[in-house]
Amino acid sequence: MRRTPFLTGALLAATALLTACGGSAAPNTISFNNASCGGTWKLAKPGWHTFDLYNGNDVGGEIDLIDPRTGGVYAEVDQFGPGTTQTMSLDVGSGRYAFRCLFDDTDPMTGSTVTVPGHVKGFAATVPVTFNDLVAPEKEYQAYVEAGLQKLVGQTETLDGDVQRGNLAQARSDWLPAHLEYETLGAAYDAFGSFDDEIDGRADALGVTNPQWTGFYRLEYGLWHGQSASELTPYANKLAADVRALLATWPTMEIPLIDIGLRTHEILENALEFQLTGHDDYGSGTTLATTLANIQGTRELLSLLHPLLVTRYPGLPAVYTWLDRLQALLEAEHLPNGTWVSVSQLPAAARQDIDAACGQALEELAPIASIAEPRNT
Amino acid sequence: MGEAEDKLPGRRSFLRGVAGGVAGGVVAGGAAGYALHGPQQDPALAADTASLDGRLPAVPFHGKHQPGILLQQPQTAVVSFDATAGNRAELTDLFQTITSRARFLTAGGTPPPVGIDGPPSDSGILGPTVVPDGLTVTFGVGPTLFDDRYGLASQLPASLTPMRSFPNDNLDPAQTGGDLILQFSAGNTDAVLHALRDIAKHTRGGMQINWRIDGFRGPARPAGTVPRNMLGFMDGILNPPLSEANDLLWVQPGAAGEPAWTAGGSYLVVRLIRMFVEFWDRVDVYEQQQMFGRDRATGFPLDADSLYALPDYAADPTGAVIPLNAHMRLANPRTPQTASSRIMRRAWNYDRGIDQVGDLDMGLIFTCYQQDIQRQFEAVQTRLINEPLVDYISPFGGGYFLALPGVRDASDWYGRGLLT
Repeated sequence: MRRTPFLTGALLAATALLTACGGSAAPNTISFNNASCGGTWKLAKPGWHTFDLYNGNDVGGEIDLIDPRTGGVYAEVDQFGPGTTQTMSLDVGSGRYAFRCLFDDTDPMTGSTVTVPGHVKGFAATVPVTFNDLVAPEKEYQAYVEAGLQKLVGQTETLDGDVQRGNLAQARSDWLPAHLEYETLGAAYDAFGSFDDEIDGRADALGVTNPQWTGFYRLEYGLWHGQSASELTPYANKLAADVRALLATWPTMEIPLIDIGLRTHEILENALEFQLTGHDDYGSGTTLATTLANIQGTRELLSLLHPLLVTRYPGLPAVYTWLDRLQALLEAEHLPNGTWVSVSQLPAAARQDIDAACGQALEELAPIASIAEPRNT
Repeated sequence: MGEAEDKLPGRRSFLRGVAGGVAGGVVAGGAAGYALHGPQQDPALAADTASLDGRLPAVPFHGKHQPGILLQQPQTAVVSFDATAGNRAELTDLFQTITSRARFLTAGGTPPPVGIDGPPSDSGILGPTVVPDGLTVTFGVGPTLFDDRYGLASQLPASLTPMRSFPNDNLDPAQTGGDLILQFSAGNTDAVLHALRDIAKHTRGGMQINWRIDGFRGPARPAGTVPRNMLGFMDGILNPPLSEANDLLWVQPGAAGEPAWTAGGSYLVVRLIRMFVEFWDRVDVYEQQQMFGRDRATGFPLDADSLYALPDYAADPTGAVIPLNAHMRLANPRTPQTASSRIMRRAWNYDRGIDQVGDLDMGLIFTCYQQDIQRQFEAVQTRLINEPLVDYISPFGGGYFLALPGVRDASDWYGRGLLT
């Protein structure tokens, strides 16, 4: 039975190479406090190391192992509580290493630099994205959303007019582009607050007969379930009014910087859960089109982040490979007469191909949330 | 000790082309002795006695044959996939990715940290270190993989047809067939599900789950006997001895038009069989025993006083003791003419909720391995048509597959002979 010694051995090997710097922690542990960011420590050789880190400060914070020349991060311990010990593991290669301490309400500190000689390849250090890096992308995204909402105001007014005039066939045809426009704004829904529920809420918690259920899906349900113009008019009015109110409020709303990276996979996570399952099909059978709109929204975020990602994320080409594949598979379900194949009508093989491409795209997108998370440096 | 530092586990992912590292140095000796077990020594029992802290030792991954064919771990998930790989090169990448993940998962080790570059590389459901827990990952291919998508039509194994529907079958297309099958078996359910999640995560673009069923085998009761099915009878008591494996178990290329790449493989038949246990529990035990041909409590053949005794049908020509239509008598009449139809049975119980009338949906994941499906499984199943047991069971899914040849060493991969 060698599997137990395997881990223990790694820990022993790693800790034996380290010179601890006192403090109140156990020997072979690297200590951090408000005056010392790791103290004196050594790395004898490259290879896989696990460090025991002790937070001797009276506040929590974050400890990064960085390349002091570039500021790149090899490894981090976040949410590091005072008086606790954490481990940090990495494959150490030739290069320079230093700890950086980011304690709450304390100026950052960088400890002494340790050099590992030679030409051994280890983990690469990723240069953190800063809050400042995300200010311009966020501004651009604000403008993107504003332009989308402006377009949406016209589209929902058109839809409202159709319903008021009793032209429900035209309403069914004008509903889709309006809904798709809204579905391209996925990184802003949290910022929209209760507007999002009013404009694009699901019936789930309320039930389809509850008058409090409003928005695109409510109209879809009525338009594709034979409800009358008079029954739907209040909902069409309200949708147009809500979109106007949202546009008016938008300049005062803020998207947290962390959301820009986070939503790059979350938009499609939602598409997988609600659109590709058919859950959000209230009658029009257009959830594949909705997924395409969600891809467009995802691409917008990627394009804003591209300058930051291209130097940090080797998997970025694969993101585009799989988004392209997913997009092509979805576009193939847009019939020449302009209608969409619904998820429930998809042949099993086509559905598997779509689900597979979406799943792989999500795997490729997932790291971006961590890489584009704004960090203090 | 150096191996722990030098050999990071592989991170290979579908179409990422990241060559997997090698975690092989940490493999324990494990249950290498399975090949020595005869039919009377269940490998799972042997493994169970070797377990420490509730976990089974690692099972060596490399070998001429896949280890999960002979070794039967107590917990299992049988998962059918359809390939969604876009072309032959992607299919090759898929098989290589499955290989490198299975190699790591069966050996165990600590998943690599990712720094600030993404979510954790492992689900963490086994804790910070992946314990092997006797994991086996058995990989097979179904007949539909050999259609026109990947240019494999000429490599179709001779015996690999779509699963036949027998009289009394009630096959659900949504739970039948599949391009690929993966069976994950281990000492505990968490290790089974960890492996399933890991491989699915690394292959999302290359394959999609088609159907899936989880199974278990209880400990043998009484100890030293054989685990029981949901009808209360011991299941799989007498299997062919491994001395006959080259005649009954392993595909022999050259014979009967088998392509060369199948050497070391074995045909896998999966039959998902619902058991109507409420109905069964309302049946007199003597009638139950007549249907099987064995004593329910002891497992002994009705004409013998020991578990592994061979029934003597010649001495019972009219079926006075073991009826002529008893399950075990039809399945294996023990005549020279039927000897070549014997199969290597591997069954697990399943349990998954209730049916429309509130009865329990439980039954058997019957699997068997053989050299030739038509000569063996289909011949056995043909003899079983209209056996008395059919009133209490309903086969509803499964499929025919070829369990691929074993992965020989660190440079080999599943299906290399098929795809190169």
